[in-house]
Amino acid sequence: MNRIASIVITIALAISIGIVFFGQSNNSPDSAGTQSAKNVEIRDGIQYVTINARGGYSPKISTAQANIPTKLIVKTNGTYDCSAALIIRSIGYQKVLSQTGEEVIDLGTPQAGALQGLCSMGMYNFNINFD
Amino acid sequence: MKTYTFHVSGTHCPSCKIFIEDALNEQAGIMQTIVDLKNETVSLETSLDESQHKLAEMLTEKIKHNGYSLSVEKNTKEKNDQGIIWQALPVGLGFLVLFFLLQKSGILNLGIGGQITPVTSFVIGLIASVSSCLAIVGGLVLSLSAKISQDNTSDTKTFTLFHAGRLISFALLGGVLGAVGNVIGINFTLATILGLFASLVMILLGLNLVGVFVKSKVALPARLFNFFRRIEHKTLTPLVLGFATFFLPCGFTQSMQFSALSSGSFVSGLIIMLVFALGTLPMLVLLSFGSASFAHGKHAPLFFKSAGVVVIGLGLFALLAGLAGLGIINPLFSI
Repeated sequence: MNRIASIVITIALAISIGIVFFGQSNNSPDSAGTQSAKNVEIRDGIQYVTINARGGYSPKISTAQANIPTKLIVKTNGTYDCSAALIIRSIGYQKVLSQTGEEVIDLGTPQAGALQGLCSMGMYNFNINFD
Repeated sequence: MKTYTFHVSGTHCPSCKIFIEDALNEQAGIMQTIVDLKNETVSLETSLDESQHKLAEMLTEKIKHNGYSLSVEKNTKEKNDQGIIWQALPVGLGFLVLFFLLQKSGILNLGIGGQITPVTSFVIGLIASVSSCLAIVGGLVLSLSAKISQDNTSDTKTFTLFHAGRLISFALLGGVLGAVGNVIGINFTLATILGLFASLVMILLGLNLVGVFVKSKVALPARLFNFFRRIEHKTLTPLVLGFATFFLPCGFTQSMQFSALSSGSFVSGLIIMLVFALGTLPMLVLLSFGSASFAHGKHAPLFFKSAGVVVIGLGLFALLAGLAGLGIINPLFSI
């Protein structure tokens, strides 16, 4: 094989790995912006943030209000992958969620700032921005 | 009586010195063989009248089964290596691209509802074996298999023991989880730390397989090195290593462990985990025995280097994800 051709292919492949990993971060703010309106609601003075967990978390970025009692609902639906093994470091939460169901996690009354959830292997994550 | 010095390749361990010296001294007409591991040379005295090139060929024949070869000029192999890395890079990166595209495509996220039956846990095992779990468990299997095949010709026994250890541990520990029930939790942090260790091993082995710095081969730390020697030569170590894969971080494994936990009896926990492990078996067997057959084929150098590239990529992925999982760094990516 021609060395120059190999180098070209190598660079092309390296770029496509970059696109696979980082490509989504470019368009995610838009899609998250439309989704986050739907997944945060306030009922009886309690704010509920809903995240779907299967093959990752969606929406990845949510925006919610700070200083309101807040509960996080994580929905699983036949979830066997890593997103069922949920870690939220800032509140010391870690649990393997049941495969199908809703897990209600009390977040207390969050201060302004971001809350991050991860799966145990670290390759899926979601953020909730309280402001 | 003449004295010759040859360049030797394939010497990666202190015991290689003794082996080569013994093997060559057995040859009629050869004596005083001395292996210099640091410079990768062999000097010997001979009463034979052959030319040096002829001798190199003849003696290589004696030790090539164990992965060593003698040559008169040092740089011939290195020149080849330089060329092969440019073939191995696109091959390895191509596999990585396919693998991550597969993860991203969402094909693997099909939901499986209802109760866990042996059939569903088998299917989940099949999916898990090509999922992101492959980055850690598969990467580790590939790197160890390639390394073992590179060093050792009787690798079949080692691999069989490894897979047997894996199946036994999943069955037994699954049964224990089922019997103990909800008393013990599965510790994520422990799993993540093990995963980090595994990813470091993968990166080291990967660099070693690629042979990035041909001159100063990435030498494995002595301890780790002895550890691999033991994997290769003892019966117990591959078994234990297979056993340990139960604790490696893998979302699928963890949710199956959770299912075993809540199954309520030793037998049902055992069945769930055993069948899950059986589901992951085809892919892992393919990786280990596939490496063995490539390693003994004529494309071996290309295979080792490509495998090295793949393993380094998977190792880096697992390392970054693991660090993010421990909260040490911010997640850099989300596939």
